[in-house]
Amino acid sequence: MRLDSCLHSEAAASTDSLRDPRGRWRSVRWPLIVATALVLLALGPRVAAQTDPSDSANDSPKPIPLFSAGMGFVTPFEGGQPHLDPLVSPVFLVPLGDHWLVESRDTFESDLSTPPGSDAFHGVVEKEVDYLQLDYVANPYLTVTVGRYLTPFGIFNERLYPIWIRNLQTDPLILSIGTGPSGAGTGAMARGGFPLSPKVNVNYAAYYSTQINQSPVDSYRAAGGRAGLFFPGPRLEIGTSFQRLLQDEHSNAFGFHFEWQPPAIPLDVRSEYARSYLGSGYWIESGYFLSQIRKAQDEFRKVQLVGRMQQYFVPPTYGPGPYGDSDWSVPWWNTQEFDFGLNYYFRYNLRFVSSYGRQFSSWGNENIWTLGLTYRFVVPLGPGEMK
Amino acid sequence: MRTITLPLALLAATLAVSFAAQAQEHSAANSTPAPSTVAAETKTHAPIRPEFSPRIEGERRFHQNCGRCHLAPQKYPPRMMATILRHMRVRATITDEDAKIILQYMTE
Repeated sequence: MRLDSCLHSEAAASTDSLRDPRGRWRSVRWPLIVATALVLLALGPRVAAQTDPSDSANDSPKPIPLFSAGMGFVTPFEGGQPHLDPLVSPVFLVPLGDHWLVESRDTFESDLSTPPGSDAFHGVVEKEVDYLQLDYVANPYLTVTVGRYLTPFGIFNERLYPIWIRNLQTDPLILSIGTGPSGAGTGAMARGGFPLSPKVNVNYAAYYSTQINQSPVDSYRAAGGRAGLFFPGPRLEIGTSFQRLLQDEHSNAFGFHFEWQPPAIPLDVRSEYARSYLGSGYWIESGYFLSQIRKAQDEFRKVQLVGRMQQYFVPPTYGPGPYGDSDWSVPWWNTQEFDFGLNYYFRYNLRFVSSYGRQFSSWGNENIWTLGLTYRFVVPLGPGEMK
Repeated sequence: MRTITLPLALLAATLAVSFAAQAQEHSAANSTPAPSTVAAETKTHAPIRPEFSPRIEGERRFHQNCGRCHLAPQKYPPRMMATILRHMRVRATITDEDAKIILQYMTE
């Protein structure tokens, strides 16, 4: 009722503006925003009361704060040059009430190498706040996140980046496209996943990030999103990502991703394509557990074979990025790389990782070996019965 | 202000549609007896199969969602699992229904 009155009075006061579409928009924008806010205020508490996923009537266990950490010691040999890469990545999860979650992940890592003329390994510890975010699970369709978050572009940065999850320890060549030098944004994000039908789930994320130049929380001003369709039956996901850089080049980046785990065999296939003014490229990776070998199955089922192929194409106009040459870890030359890996799981959270890769580029070809161990644990923080 | 008006309005509209859709779904669900367990809730969303059991369904959903990045079930105490599921629901955009069924499966 009040909305109608408001609209009518504004329309009568500025009939000229209604002839102009821009003026018409100006005349209705505030009533529209106010009306939308009122709808939200009216529906929000009622809906929340109806849909509380863990309300007091529900006997779901109450979440408690957790501390988790992943760590690894990987020894890459790039072009015959040995490196020692220790890494520790603590994760904190602090649930608040029934809808909130504070979560953070930091990374402390070093790339130790031998300077010319020295036998000793030297390096500095690099620190990065991967994410430090506050999540509000508003309803089954929407979660609102504010703070520093992993940029949702493709699948690798958000889902596969931790060394205790990834199958190969070397990054994809296109990782920086769409995710930026730090892989994180600072701002707000809306995201969620919900069933579109019994056979299809939708997942989405839309975000806005502001520019911060201060390490270890650097990010750049950008807006973008990702949307995916997941088919639970065949365990197949396809999706697309988009990002608009809102500074410097004001350029667009887009990408596609694909993930498939056929239910009948212990295989997973993943792939990403990404393109921006920095270049374009793709990677496709498959991992296969040898659990189908009947003989010595208890041992073979812990062995995973991995293969990955990737290509990166540099545009003719390529030049230094907005953050200088070193920040964007994308190749300066057309590059191809093949990697083969073998991982052995001592336990679900402790594994030996190894890989051999060969990189081809106009700058030169080189072998890339990695050997290492990865481990992760999780412990509860805080008192209370565990059940 | 003008530059952020449209994004604000779009965001608000998205929120409104989201809330409205949820309200509609639950008003329909409330017309039937309220589900008290995850298994019962599943029946409101999926056809009942003769061989349906919460454990089998939970294992299936675990492999469909968690198994994409993680190995076979590692069970933790229920309150830890509740936190992990909330985290993964945000991180991996797991649906609300899947998160509830997996939580039930991982804590039984």
